[in-house]
Amino acid sequence: MQWSFPMIVIVVVLGLLGIGFYGLLIVRNLIKVVVALQVLAKGAMLALVLAGELAGQIYIGDSMAITLIVADTIVAVIGLALAVQVRRHIGSLDIGHLSKLRR
Amino acid sequence: MMFASPFLWLMMIPLAGFPLIYLIGRAGKRLGASKASISFWMALLALLVMVLPLYQLGGQVLAGQMPVLRLNAITLRMDGVGLLLSGTVLALAIAVTLFSYRYVGSEEGEEKYYALLLAMSGVIIGLGCAADLFNLWVWFEAMAVTSYLLVAFYRNQPGALEAGVKYVIQSACGSVLVVLGIALVFTHSRSLGLLQIPAKIAMPAPLVLVAGVFFVVGFGVKSALVPLHTWLPDAHSQAPSGISAMLSGVVIEAGLVALLRSLGVLSGLGAPIATLLLIFAVLNMLVGNLMALRQTQIKRLLAFSSVSHIGYMLLGLAAALGFGAASGAGGSFFHILTHALMKGLAFLSAGLLLYCLRIAAGSHEPLTVDDLAGAARRYPLAAFAFSVAVLGLGGLPPLAGFMSKWQIFVGGFQTQSPLLQWLVVFAALNSVLSLGYYAPLVNRIYRKQPSDIVLAGKAAPFTMNLVLLVLSAAVVVLGFAPGLVNALTESAAVSLLSAFGL
Repeated sequence: MQWSFPMIVIVVVLGLLGIGFYGLLIVRNLIKVVVALQVLAKGAMLALVLAGELAGQIYIGDSMAITLIVADTIVAVIGLALAVQVRRHIGSLDIGHLSKLRR
Repeated sequence: MMFASPFLWLMMIPLAGFPLIYLIGRAGKRLGASKASISFWMALLALLVMVLPLYQLGGQVLAGQMPVLRLNAITLRMDGVGLLLSGTVLALAIAVTLFSYRYVGSEEGEEKYYALLLAMSGVIIGLGCAADLFNLWVWFEAMAVTSYLLVAFYRNQPGALEAGVKYVIQSACGSVLVVLGIALVFTHSRSLGLLQIPAKIAMPAPLVLVAGVFFVVGFGVKSALVPLHTWLPDAHSQAPSGISAMLSGVVIEAGLVALLRSLGVLSGLGAPIATLLLIFAVLNMLVGNLMALRQTQIKRLLAFSSVSHIGYMLLGLAAALGFGAASGAGGSFFHILTHALMKGLAFLSAGLLLYCLRIAAGSHEPLTVDDLAGAARRYPLAAFAFSVAVLGLGGLPPLAGFMSKWQIFVGGFQTQSPLLQWLVVFAALNSVLSLGYYAPLVNRIYRKQPSDIVLAGKAAPFTMNLVLLVLSAAVVVLGFAPGLVNALTESAAVSLLSAFGL
């Protein structure tokens, strides 16, 4: 089987998404959760660039990917800011300790 | 002629205004202005001024036109759905801003609150009017960002931080899935315009089906479709009460509108979409009501009731999209409007009690059902407003909630499909079930002896009482005269059905 360029990219996208979701499931530290979210977003970003390439409108794909970079940086900043506050007021970064609000 | 466009004003005022409000509010504090409420007045002014261009645009939309705003490659187009969402947001945001004058007046970071509230209103209007798929996602993400910050507004409270963390993680996963869905649709159709895509998709295409699943899961997180609703009760109960009202009244409905818009792109799928919506409708009504029954905290109870109300809306929409009963969609849009008013009123009157009994005394403990005992003696207006709101939500006849549910049920019966008719009966029984947790609240407020906490509570501020009075009047009036907003909901239903090619 011939490995064409898009297929390699698809494999990389799926790999990044897999790592991201797997990370979200097993990681307990809040900062690592933010890292896992970033890995997921990078997979989505690559998917947008590939979509632009396959649709023959590379510039649209690229501009969507750049917009996603901005959006995803904002989310990372908010996630990390929350992590700082959580460390300060709850005293631990373990998400296992974030379960006071039950039911 | 560019600046003559009311649409441009409608978008510019909130988006250019919110950084200004933050900076000026901040500078005012730095300069030592005593009790810097300048950000409050600026936000209120901005929201009130936005009513004018919206009114003008509303006239055009109801006359059958579609006002368009083009900024380079970005196109915004206001149709009936966008108008309904914008009107609801603006009305609720004005009420919430007025209410919050005393509520967050004593908090640090007041200027952030008003700036983000204005930004959130503007962004939701943008979401309602987005004309292409990626644009829709950008507005959606901007709405999510403003709401993350507002949910974690009490940044020293462990509860608020926990709710914020859960909300950010779930919502960020959802938005990644939406982006993947957009990439798939774009690859397949080579276009992003909401109106252009359906013609370019050759159905049935397996990749597009996958995109549909991504949209449902991604937007479903924000609109609290049942297995994805777990962030909602935490976020709604920990946010400041005004923000709970906004989240419950418009943010989850905006998620629903985004979901409908993205599914409209895949309208070639036809009936399976309606079936999917029906499944979520049943799950939402059942889980929302059963979970609400066992809550002891008022705001958590109201949050679960929002989950069940999304179910009623989905029922009407599914009746219209899959079974050809257009009045079901009209009913659902009417329910979006009345639910925003009633749930806004419920959260704000619970917020008044929370403020007087807890926050004014410096405590951030949640308000429980037991605290409400005898509240009518000391807070007659808040007690009345809360009763109007919850009885309306439960669907008692002369109130607005009855009218909108009734219209959804009529739509369900018009389909002539036995399945839908059984589901309408199921929804009606769910309404009765919901009275099982609303009615005891009213009973407790009016018929119990006042508890010590209530007797020690602070007097209710005038601005809060005023907001509650106006909103209760709106709920009662819409119950007696549902025809007042008929044109609005009908045009929303027509726009939605035309997006699905019906």
